[in-house]
Amino acid sequence: MAPANRVPDQRAFALLILSAAVTLVLHAPHLPLWLPMPAALLLLLCWAFRRRGRRFPVLARYVLVLALPLAVVASYGTIFGRLPGAALAVGLLTLKLTETETLRDARIVIATSAFVLMSALLFGQSLLQTALVCVALWPLLTAAMSLEPAAGPTRALMHGSALRLMLALPVALVAFVLIPRLASPLWGAPGMQVAKTGVSARMTPGAIGQLLIDDQPAFRVGFQGPIPARPLRYFRAVVLWHFDGRSWTPGHAALPLERLIIRDRPSRYTVTLDATRQTLLPALDIPVDTAPGTFSTAARTLLAMRPIDHTLRYTLESATDYTLSPQLVPDERTLALQLPVGADPRARALAAQWRARYGGNSRAIVASALRMFRNGGFRYTLVPPPLGRQQVDDFLFRTRAGFCEHYASAFVFLMRAAGVPARVVAGYQGGYANRTAGYLLVRQSDAHAWAEVWIPGDGWVRVDPTAAVSPDRISLGATAAAQTADAPWFLSGWWIGFRNRIDVVNRLWNQAVVGFDALRQRALLTQFGLDPSRWQSVALALGGALGMALAVGLALALREPGKRGDALATGFQRLERRLTRARCARRPGEAPVAYLRRAASSLPSPAATTLMALAGRFAQLRYGGTQPPPPLAVRDWVRKAKDFRP
Amino acid sequence: MPEATLARNDATQQRLVHALAQVNQLLLGKTHAVRLSFACLLAGGHLLLEDIPGVGKTTLAHALARACGLAFQRVQFTSDLTPTDIIGVGIYERELGHFRFHPGPLFTELLLADEINRGTPKVQSALLEAMAEGQVSTEGETRPLSPVFTVIATQNPLDMAGTHPLPDSQLDRFLMRLSLGYPDAAAERALLSGVDRREMLRDLTIHLTPADLVELRRRARTVDASTAVLDYVQSLLSASRAHPQIRVGLSPRAGLALLAAARAWAMLAGRSYVMPEDVQAVFPAVAAHRIQIQHGANGETLAAKLLAEVSVRA
Repeated sequence: MAPANRVPDQRAFALLILSAAVTLVLHAPHLPLWLPMPAALLLLLCWAFRRRGRRFPVLARYVLVLALPLAVVASYGTIFGRLPGAALAVGLLTLKLTETETLRDARIVIATSAFVLMSALLFGQSLLQTALVCVALWPLLTAAMSLEPAAGPTRALMHGSALRLMLALPVALVAFVLIPRLASPLWGAPGMQVAKTGVSARMTPGAIGQLLIDDQPAFRVGFQGPIPARPLRYFRAVVLWHFDGRSWTPGHAALPLERLIIRDRPSRYTVTLDATRQTLLPALDIPVDTAPGTFSTAARTLLAMRPIDHTLRYTLESATDYTLSPQLVPDERTLALQLPVGADPRARALAAQWRARYGGNSRAIVASALRMFRNGGFRYTLVPPPLGRQQVDDFLFRTRAGFCEHYASAFVFLMRAAGVPARVVAGYQGGYANRTAGYLLVRQSDAHAWAEVWIPGDGWVRVDPTAAVSPDRISLGATAAAQTADAPWFLSGWWIGFRNRIDVVNRLWNQAVVGFDALRQRALLTQFGLDPSRWQSVALALGGALGMALAVGLALALREPGKRGDALATGFQRLERRLTRARCARRPGEAPVAYLRRAASSLPSPAATTLMALAGRFAQLRYGGTQPPPPLAVRDWVRKAKDFRP
Repeated sequence: MPEATLARNDATQQRLVHALAQVNQLLLGKTHAVRLSFACLLAGGHLLLEDIPGVGKTTLAHALARACGLAFQRVQFTSDLTPTDIIGVGIYERELGHFRFHPGPLFTELLLADEINRGTPKVQSALLEAMAEGQVSTEGETRPLSPVFTVIATQNPLDMAGTHPLPDSQLDRFLMRLSLGYPDAAAERALLSGVDRREMLRDLTIHLTPADLVELRRRARTVDASTAVLDYVQSLLSASRAHPQIRVGLSPRAGLALLAAARAWAMLAGRSYVMPEDVQAVFPAVAAHRIQIQHGANGETLAAKLLAEVSVRA
């Protein structure tokens, strides 16, 4: 161990800067805008000062140290929490480099870098992010190794640190499987996933426009049977009863669970839902039962007990041929006919016309509304023009352009105005069926809203007015339906196809690693006869596994060098064979180096020089010293000998 | 044989180079033998020169002593030579009133034992004992010899009448056995036309001191011998023990001697590590007189055979 006040050399310092820079890059996406560029500049400055052998100005450092927390507070209003914490940590790491003088400082920088690097995982644990963090450990470990007194050449260090990281993988895997897990990830605390949205329990036509071009995966569904056809893939998440003229909300009335009569065998499937921070659980129309830990609303949508702050898996059964609520209870009827007072007179007038023409024939009223959407000059677009105060009127008689929300909202409004009980259902529709991996991937862009009307004798019947306007929305999906000449590149076909293929890997990662929670750990460990609730048994297994890894590592390290494959000898033999083919065989009893030199003397000049150099180097490696030669030098010689042509 | 490159970074080493060059000037065309004799000296061994008279054995011994700045004594072995003749004798000195030891020629730094096989076994063993022990015991007193005490013995292989050949066990005391042989035509011509060797000997510059020699010997012992070289030495030893024409193969002591000589040889080449080439260079000189051969065979030829038969693994 070198004295702690020794000064790290130029190279060690450069490696430290590099590790800090990599950490900065990994954090950059979620740092406040003012931080990354100045931090990078500061790193560059540290490096420049160090190169000239000068110290960073003390005053400037103090000013920066004071400024950092103030700036963080100015950005976030606090220094606590994930985002301010990350900004503070990255900033402090950068500042630490300005005062790194001794070996001890350098070690602190390395430890801090490692911590800050790890904290990048708080912002996402996708395969890509995890892999990036792992790769970022490489320069960090190289820097740590370069601090050792007898550090070799940089190439050897990088090689060594890569090897060490590789060797650490099995140990990490064992720890991953065995170390007891909390019921939910530690960082699943409030503040997580704030930016992520999904279908929410409030619908303001136009508001999910952003969602429709967000192609983040929302959830994945693995079906035990075949994946249902696309037009049947309606996933209900929330039923919206109440309309205030602008927004649809679920309403607050307590209704009895609607009766369900099913006519086909329910299909069984498992949903893997990414964190939403909401309690809504999408379920295929129409779930016949609930999953453990979930409950059903009256309109047969499922809710979780708590907001979903980490990836959740649940298994359900759904029927596609069904009758929902053949009898309508009075409370429900009231809710299903509710309309905001005085809003949208033109739409009301139109509905009154239909009512007058068809009387109590609900089916005819539905049909005439759909006919109007089909033939009335309506078009489907993800970028609709803004609507005025009389939202439904404005949409129906002026803009005539919108997407599912607009159609569902206007349709339900018309139905109610015509005296037909109706409600809006929000959820997802479609999805990408990955036939090879056998699952359905539903993205945020598959978010959808449709309507259910109550028809005497048939109960609640699903009506999708969007399908009337744009049949492609149902048969191809939202992005395909909205595709026009001015579609942005990320909505183009090949990109979507590519994304869908990549998703297979992400799903595996999510299922095997991110979704490996306490429950699944218990299931796995019990299979091996381990009781995860008894810490002794887990400690024993963990200790055993780590001890085994240690023993294997020791055995590898202590392996007698002579017994290892002698690369130098093999390399020499290859060279000898080559020279023998070139009519320069080794004489009986001739020593290797003497032989190479003799062979060189019979060769033309460039080859002779090379061979002489090889001979000299071989002598040093094989005979120079009583210790085994450095592997890197041996590899270098073998490579050169391989390249040699007599 | 790779042309030796000598390290030039060190004054002692530099003087060694000069000494070597000077002896080479005196003994024309005998570079290999001269180098071997230097290696023998550096390895701290004794040298047996076996050759016909008149090829320069005595000159070599003289030149070595002179070039290395060693005190030199010569003893001509005859059948009437007694141990006290070489060790010395205590003589009563009347003025002092007690015996005073008068050291014999043994108390020198380099001793030339000329025609050692003409001496009686008694005197031979007295000398060999001194060579082995580095000290002599006489009249109840042990007297140490010089730390660089070295013997160069000569013997005439042809003139066998009235000689006492050294027993095999005693031959082992000599690190190397060398033959100088006739000089080649060019060297002989230069010899004939040149200055008298005796005069040249007198004019030789002294390059090294006994202290230098002690230091060089210490360094020679620290020359690295890698496992590859040790493996090679070992395979040579075991091959000598298995060879059909060899009665008794090389002893472990012979192996140590071989390694010591190879180390000195490597140092002379300016290297800090031994290569199999070094072992091969000294092998005939070190091994030929130590293997006991079947009747009709020749040690040198067998040593060469062994070198050709034992392959050097890379």
